[in-house]
Amino acid sequence: MPLVTSKRPAGGSSLMSLQPVDAAPFHRPSSAVLVWGTLLLVWLASLLPWRLWQPVPDLLVLVLAFWCLHEPGRVGLLTAFVLGLLMDVHDSGLLGLHALNYVLCAYGVLRLHRRLQHFNVWVQTLHVLPVFVLAALVPRLLGAWLNGEWVGWDWLWAALITGALLPLADVLLLLPQRRLDGDDVGAV
Amino acid sequence: MREPGTLRLFKRGPSIEVRLVLLLAACLALIVTDAHWPVLNPVRQALSTAIYPFQRVVLAPREAMEYVNSWSHAAALAREEQDALRRQQIEMAQLVTHAAQLTTENEQLRRLLNVSESISQQSVAVEVFYVPPNAFSHRLIFNKGSDAGIAPGMPVIDEGGVVGQIIHVTPFTSEAALLIDDQVSIPVQVLRNGLRLIAFGSDEVGKLEVRYLTANMDVQAGDTLVTSGIGGLFPAGLSVGRVDKVDRDPGTGFAVAVAEPLSHPERYRHFLVLRVDVSKEPKSEEIERALGDQ
Repeated sequence: MPLVTSKRPAGGSSLMSLQPVDAAPFHRPSSAVLVWGTLLLVWLASLLPWRLWQPVPDLLVLVLAFWCLHEPGRVGLLTAFVLGLLMDVHDSGLLGLHALNYVLCAYGVLRLHRRLQHFNVWVQTLHVLPVFVLAALVPRLLGAWLNGEWVGWDWLWAALITGALLPLADVLLLLPQRRLDGDDVGAV
Repeated sequence: MREPGTLRLFKRGPSIEVRLVLLLAACLALIVTDAHWPVLNPVRQALSTAIYPFQRVVLAPREAMEYVNSWSHAAALAREEQDALRRQQIEMAQLVTHAAQLTTENEQLRRLLNVSESISQQSVAVEVFYVPPNAFSHRLIFNKGSDAGIAPGMPVIDEGGVVGQIIHVTPFTSEAALLIDDQVSIPVQVLRNGLRLIAFGSDEVGKLEVRYLTANMDVQAGDTLVTSGIGGLFPAGLSVGRVDKVDRDPGTGFAVAVAEPLSHPERYRHFLVLRVDVSKEPKSEEIERALGDQ
């Protein structure tokens, strides 16, 4: 079966020279440990005081959106809601403001994810930027309405910087997969 | 329910739009409820208690670094502090004798007037655990909570005067709203003439304000505001702020006094929580008398 052999080399070093029939990179799922581990790590990092400097990017929503884009089966709206609620408690703001931001962001990315699969990371970033901005705008408007004051435009820069960091997240979070792909195409 | 090993051809469960609408409704309900009623406090308390171990672990390196830092500078720091304390002691000595005289005199007068004697407050020293990043409010989280006897409503002071008021507690942490937070209102008195007022957090960042002053109220720039003791939560005589300016609005006829707080919560890490009796309701006649005076 020559076709199968060319697609899935057995892993021997002599077969490494063979070119695959379909050169498009196939999708290898990230491990659950990586997905939940990075989310936990970034959530823990968000408890540190660096977020006091404005406008600083919200790394948690970045990683969340990233996994919504690449692992929509594992990470979804409920994850976003729970993480948002935890951030609200930590920040001692109105319960639900962060949750609203994260849920909207996750929804936007999940809606776009089929379409974005066909693009490279730069086009994905362009698509995701307005999602980040809109998702951040809605809770700010609600907060301004309930608190009777507008908080300024720092959050807009924060949202734009967060979106602009997507290529970096792409490089870092897909590193384990890329290393596997580079090592040995056949070994799954 | 999916059998293990069978192929999952179709996505089960409600569609993403249904989930979105449900979660958005939950978010909105939470936000509006939390903004208007305190019913979500148990939820908040439970969640903060749950994340407390993580916060401790994450902030542990910082605390360790500070500990090491304080040791490495211990000698210089101690000498510096000793010098400052000695200076302070000399300055205070005179004040203390004077204060002692005044206290005895005051007690005598109070007994003569049949006024209940002021009780010295029990207090808890607390340290800032972290500053929550929140654009809408001005809060501090302290490292002690209801286990140390702290309860919502208790005042927080530093050496400058009143810093704020405890608003939420968990067993291990407590959250204080600073004076400049718009959730705090504090009964004050103008030191110069005894005029009783209520100060609020201001729209201007880092300021306090006294609203709705009528033309006959005597408040000037430079006046010191101290707590009046009305309401029973804040003990009388703690300094609160100094009036910067009085803005008169010819349209409404009212004026607003803007004051700068005398405490500096941004400069210190340690504060004192006064363990006042928070169950005590303000006496209605006390409030009426205060309002009648104005």
